[in-house]
Amino acid sequence: MIRVQEAPFDAGAEQQALLAGRTDIGAVVSFTGLVRDFNETPEVTALTLEHYPGMTESALAGIVDEARERWPLDGATVIHRIGRLAPGDPIVLVVVASAHRRAAFEACDFIMDYLKTRAPFWKKEHATGGDYWVSERESDQKDARRWQQ
Amino acid sequence: MSLTHLNARGEAHMVDVADKPESRREATASGRIRMKPETLALLAEGGLPKGDVLATARIAGIQAAKRTHELIPLCHALALSKVAIDFRLDEAASCVDVTATCRLNGRTGVEMEALTAVSVACLTLYDMCKAVDKGMEIDAIRLETKTGGKSGDYRREAGEGGSEADEAASPIVTGQGHGGQVSLGSRCDIATPCIRVKCLAELRERLGVGDISVPLDSLTSADVAGLKAALKAQDPRFSRLDEGRVLCAVNQVMAGDATPITNEDEVAFFPPVTGG
Repeated sequence: MIRVQEAPFDAGAEQQALLAGRTDIGAVVSFTGLVRDFNETPEVTALTLEHYPGMTESALAGIVDEARERWPLDGATVIHRIGRLAPGDPIVLVVVASAHRRAAFEACDFIMDYLKTRAPFWKKEHATGGDYWVSERESDQKDARRWQQ
Repeated sequence: MSLTHLNARGEAHMVDVADKPESRREATASGRIRMKPETLALLAEGGLPKGDVLATARIAGIQAAKRTHELIPLCHALALSKVAIDFRLDEAASCVDVTATCRLNGRTGVEMEALTAVSVACLTLYDMCKAVDKGMEIDAIRLETKTGGKSGDYRREAGEGGSEADEAASPIVTGQGHGGQVSLGSRCDIATPCIRVKCLAELRERLGVGDISVPLDSLTSADVAGLKAALKAQDPRFSRLDEGRVLCAVNQVMAGDATPITNEDEVAFFPPVTGG
């Protein structure tokens, strides 16, 4: 399930929904990303998330499809928030279920790496020193390239 | 006072009025068409071969006001709330005086709409009467009054005139969509085949434009590279598309310079993504 929304999400409820009625799932891995109060500058007071409606959803669906081709998954949920967020707010949730833990761990890691480098989201940070758009990180690109070897 | 439709390099550009407050805008323009006394008499009696001259010219003027953006290059379509055209037959001077009043609540003036309405009403009068009088003259097309907006109210002084325009033309609404504002870009806003271009996130803020329609025939080649060239020819700010890493999607699928594009395609330019 893919969702792009302004509202907060409940990671526990989303995980339960993914597992509901299933007894064949042996592992579920959940990742929640949070807004930090420091990034390119200290004292980040808020964050505004912009996306490209339509393309964002299809890009996320494409990433999940690729994960399903690489690992035997029993379910996957990706929720990404948009709009204005405060430090400490949850921003992204990835939940992956599989029969065995290795597939769930790796698929969750893969989805986050690809989401950060391929899904059309942009962060603007509001800090005490002013507003600025976050620039891409080479470390994120390097992380994503791990899956191409 | 500078010309708001010219950028620092003297090239035509659209003025961004995104941050201007809305206000009630009204403009009245006038003009006249001189003709032989016999022609004016026929017009008054309804004896001209093409029928009801004034009613036809009035509709033509109203239609023209609504279509000003199709005629004047840097004008955009405005949702006019009122267009009124009036005629006064002046037998002493043997002419028809035409006035047009346009009104809307918005961020840009409506004097071009009023001037266009007067011009086309006069042309229609000429067309309706030319069978009996080819020597008619259209003259004195001018702005009479303008109210609303930052540049303040304007009223033509008696004796003021000639070709000296003392007012810079009013800014044009661009496609930055916020509440109540004219927004372009969700579809092609021009009648000819075109490409819908979106600039997203930091790129949009740096360029000052989010949505823009580009005529397909302005592309040197029907691909992303041709579109970039057309945008740069339109406004030098688009040279940013070649600076740093700018990504591109055609119809929401990642694309490159060689990706072909066609009529009604949606092409988005954006910086590297930073979600998660």
